[in-house]
Amino acid sequence: MFLALSEMRRAKVRFGLLAGAVGLLVFLILFQQALLTGLVNQFIGALKNQSADVLVYNAQARKNLEGSIVLPDQATAIAAVEGVAVAAPLGEGTFTVLAGDEEQDAVIFGYELGGPGAPTTLIEGRLPEADGEAVASSRNAADGFDIGDTVTVVPNPGGTATTFTVVGLAEEINYSVAPTLFTDFAGYETARRAVNPDATQVLPSVIAVRVVDGADPTVVADAITAAVDGTEGLTRQQAVDESPGVASVRQSFSVILLLFYLVVPLVTGLFFLIVTFQKAGALTLLRAIGSPAGPLVRSLLIQVVAVVLSGAVLATGLFWLASLGGGGGLGITVEPMPVLATTLVVLVLALLTSLAAVRRVLRIDPIAATTGAGVQV
Amino acid sequence: MSSSNPSDSSAHSGAAVLATGPALRLDGVRKVYGTGENAIVAVDHASLTVDGGEIVALLGPSGSGKTTLLSIAGGLLAATEGTVVVGGEDISGHSPRELTEFRRSKVGFVFQSVNLVPFLTAEENLLVVSELAGARGTVRKQARARAKELLAELGLSHRAGNLPAQLSGGERQRVAIGRALFNSPALVLFDEPTSALDTKIGEQVMELIQSEMRSRGTAAVIVTHDTRMTHYADRTVRIVDGVLGLGDAAGDDH
Repeated sequence: MFLALSEMRRAKVRFGLLAGAVGLLVFLILFQQALLTGLVNQFIGALKNQSADVLVYNAQARKNLEGSIVLPDQATAIAAVEGVAVAAPLGEGTFTVLAGDEEQDAVIFGYELGGPGAPTTLIEGRLPEADGEAVASSRNAADGFDIGDTVTVVPNPGGTATTFTVVGLAEEINYSVAPTLFTDFAGYETARRAVNPDATQVLPSVIAVRVVDGADPTVVADAITAAVDGTEGLTRQQAVDESPGVASVRQSFSVILLLFYLVVPLVTGLFFLIVTFQKAGALTLLRAIGSPAGPLVRSLLIQVVAVVLSGAVLATGLFWLASLGGGGGLGITVEPMPVLATTLVVLVLALLTSLAAVRRVLRIDPIAATTGAGVQV
Repeated sequence: MSSSNPSDSSAHSGAAVLATGPALRLDGVRKVYGTGENAIVAVDHASLTVDGGEIVALLGPSGSGKTTLLSIAGGLLAATEGTVVVGGEDISGHSPRELTEFRRSKVGFVFQSVNLVPFLTAEENLLVVSELAGARGTVRKQARARAKELLAELGLSHRAGNLPAQLSGGERQRVAIGRALFNSPALVLFDEPTSALDTKIGEQVMELIQSEMRSRGTAAVIVTHDTRMTHYADRTVRIVDGVLGLGDAAGDDH
């Protein structure tokens, strides 16, 4: 501790710059992770934060909600599968709506009131209780989707405009990065007919299932897939994780994050290796006059920990500042667990990459002190 | 004294011998690098006794084996053959870990180059080994008091908080001497202590070494190739091609 802190105290700029570099890189990791979470929530928050345990898709839709319709026979068969307590229609569609005095795209989910598929993250107001009521995504409240606002589906020729009144706001229920409304299935049907007046029947996109108490949703989902031809049952988490857009976004971010996770410890390890080479003389002298190798290695590791933790503190501060700005509307928030987990991973990796410097310290031969090669001031 | 031709060192010594028993005894020490036809004998059956409080100059040309002999005496290098006893401790069979402990507690070093830790102050350079050895509580307090006392004796109290880069060459060498004396060793080994200094400063440093060693009764072996400095020693031992020659009384070279 004595040697480590003395050196850091006398080389504040050098260690400060490294801590700053580590801090910026850790900040980028934290920001990218939060950005990913925000993006995913914007893409499929509606699936993540609804009450169905299992969503049953048309098998040909390949887990894509937009491309899925479930036929009445299939819906009936799904309800009969063992483990299914309630099976109800859940419709989803993107519509041009008039909200806040301007036309914009919005996603409307229609679910059976009181049944599975209702939003679970209500933060203000209430759930819809009658036709023409809807819960809106809180992120879009200022865009004409606040409580009391009316949202009108712009009809196609021949259709009839239908209007919803926002009675509640729920967080993280966006879908496809658009303002999102949850209304009753009848309201959804009306919206569908407004844009497609010739439709003879409005079919649900998926069937929302609530499993019986104690049943495993995964087992029930698999049972539905096996029992009902042309369907694919997915648990809520599977529906989120395997949603086509989400998977590719996650994959892209994973590559970026992997690079950052490699760069931070490599920068740290390289820095300490260079520093160890630079102070080889002092280390050789200390070994020659009787310092065991252990304290010198400990001193190095203490410095690695101090630099990474300082960087993490800096990164958390920057992250907090960024969160104040909302991260470009993606709802970035500072949560302790991701920050701690990221710091821990970076710390462990930095310690691992510092093993090269540790090895260098352990290989110091005190006899080098007599050659003068290792003892320069 | 004894070298290759053992004899009684006290007969030649003009120094006050304060300690009892030899500070250093080398008996038949041999150091060979490599094996077979490639073997190089760096030190060849060297025997030398340095009494407590005695100052011995080890004189020889470059490559004569004087630094190798010094390294063996200081536990930096293991002898191929022979016995090495320092302050009553036979280190011939010591493990690397035991040699590290020995160097920390029983012997002091001043190396050829300026040899301080650049990011530690003068006082911290004295304290560093005791700190790295885990000094705590009372031991740490005693160590700090000892460091201040040594710096005062060396006329460096006002420089205690200075980094090596802020000290002159002579001051740095004085701090190095202080560090070598910090653990109250039986023996201090100096490797060309004046080679990086001009003549005037070199003589001041040698006077300091002489006075500090004598006042403490600490033995010293000073490796040098500068015959102008040997008169500060009680006697001079020559080494050529790894073989110790006859000892000379102090001033014989002048």
